[in-house]
Amino acid sequence: MTTVTRAAPTLLTSPGARLVGKRLLMAVPIVIGVSIVTFWVLNLIPGSAAQQLLGPEATPAQIQALEARLGLDRPAPVRYLAWLGGAVTGDLGTSLVSGQPVAGLLGERLAVSGELVMLAFVISLGLALPVALLAAHRPGRLFDRVSMLVSITGLSVANYVLALLLVLVFAVELALFPAIGFVPLTESVGGNLQGMALPAAAIAFPLFCFYTRFLRGDLVDQLQGEDYIVTARAKGIGPWQVLLRHAFRNSAFGLITVVGLNLGTLIGATVIIEQIFALPGIGQLMLQAINTRDFVVVQACVVLFAVVAVVANLLADLLYAVLDPRIRYGSR
Amino acid sequence: MAVAEVAPTVLRYRLRYLDVLVPATVIAVVVLACLVGPALFALPEPTGGDVLESYMPALSPGHLLGTDPNGNDTLSRLLHGGRSSLLVAVAVNLLGLVVGGTLGAVSGHVGGLTDTVIMRLLDVLIAFPSLVLTLAVAQSLGPSRTNTILALAFFSVPAFARIARAATLRLRELPFMVAGQLCGTPTPRILLRHVAPNIAPQLITFGMLGMGIVIVIEGALSFLGLGIPPPAPSWGNMISQGQQSLSATPSLVVWPCLTLFVTVLAFNLLGEALRARWSGR
Repeated sequence: MTTVTRAAPTLLTSPGARLVGKRLLMAVPIVIGVSIVTFWVLNLIPGSAAQQLLGPEATPAQIQALEARLGLDRPAPVRYLAWLGGAVTGDLGTSLVSGQPVAGLLGERLAVSGELVMLAFVISLGLALPVALLAAHRPGRLFDRVSMLVSITGLSVANYVLALLLVLVFAVELALFPAIGFVPLTESVGGNLQGMALPAAAIAFPLFCFYTRFLRGDLVDQLQGEDYIVTARAKGIGPWQVLLRHAFRNSAFGLITVVGLNLGTLIGATVIIEQIFALPGIGQLMLQAINTRDFVVVQACVVLFAVVAVVANLLADLLYAVLDPRIRYGSR
Repeated sequence: MAVAEVAPTVLRYRLRYLDVLVPATVIAVVVLACLVGPALFALPEPTGGDVLESYMPALSPGHLLGTDPNGNDTLSRLLHGGRSSLLVAVAVNLLGLVVGGTLGAVSGHVGGLTDTVIMRLLDVLIAFPSLVLTLAVAQSLGPSRTNTILALAFFSVPAFARIARAATLRLRELPFMVAGQLCGTPTPRILLRHVAPNIAPQLITFGMLGMGIVIVIEGALSFLGLGIPPPAPSWGNMISQGQQSLSATPSLVVWPCLTLFVTVLAFNLLGEALRARWSGR
């Protein structure tokens, strides 16, 4: 063991600040790597975008002219660097199909996808916390068993399967919610929420199952194996107090990480759900762009998805460090 | 008293294996049905049906589960689609197990710069929402079964690599590993003879969960028209096709959904049961 003499921490040298800096530095190359992979993958597309835009009857000369106009004749690394330079300054290029600036297209649709993700997130976490706490309160009892059975079942339902079943039951049979049809939030809050209810539920249910399983498992581990729980119980604290004030506080750290990691999956799920419910979000934009080979838009969407996932991970990491002194002062 | 004490023990002994046996049986039934079912029951071909026989209800003569808008037998399409789904899932997980497992084991065992480089590269892939990346890859390569497998392997390889690395790191300080290195055993041999057998159970357990995940994502790709190209059936494109007449003939969506769900549930339950077994020791 080496002894380290620590100077009195200031804002810049405090372990927390150093950790934030380190994680931020790690996130930058990941985002750049993601954009390189995306660019490379999209460059594999057989048949150039110009060919696709002009249709099958275009002459080679026409294709060449359009490629030159769009800058597609330059070598890939040059195009990538030009794109990166633009992206850093907020210019994501213009759509090959509609000619609109991509940044503007994304902005409109980000609100829809963002609302969907936030709703799903609030519903799933809001339900998972009480259910997991109740299940962990008495592990092995009826409530615990039923909730675990429901959650493993829910984890096996693909979200698109769930979405269609929800449509079948609530839109076709009961006619409680519209199957498709998006009302902007600015037009009517009630109508907007009604349209968002089924898609949000389809994303939220598998997530709820995942969070419930995770939190319940972690809580039970804490309650059964940890010394501080024994101490708390020996002091005569009631079972709910032990669960909420002691075990849950510790388990919450793990949950934060899982939630952060999961946000990536969550936004991936919006692609297919937006398609089913015809919601004008980022996922729908990306699918349309994929089908029209508008790779400028696809590139922007994929990078945006990845950036959100990386940032969510980063935030989870940081929150974890801020809340848990063991990590902040840990050896890493 | 004695009887009352013995009976629960026997019962418990039997129950101990149920968590593995039940899902394993379901998987075996699904796999067998998909592989030999169409030949065994002399089902019609899954494609090229007669349009005059479209939208037949379940229990129609010759069509147990009815027919789809093109007059193809639903049961036949379900089983042939299952072949595709299972083949893709097995291939993707095998690729992940072998390539990812090797990368992870090398990374964890060798450490140092190799470890840093491999893990940072994989971090980039893990940062992608898996469906988004596979969509982009599938579109670039064009929809086909091989390309679906390649696209999905993009995310199975890093996942397996992470697990293999973590498992390898736990082995590093164990006496037999230290002994192996002190004897001067070459690294490839250590990896093959000492690391591989010890990390295999965890990787295979993850592979069971991975089967479920891949079946779901392959379904999603096919559902969006970027996986198995129609008219060849897959559970995903059957759901997608059935969605167009959801209110009129919901059964066209319900059957593939149900099959997909049961299969994925069985793989998840088996994975969970195996995991509980390994962590319980």
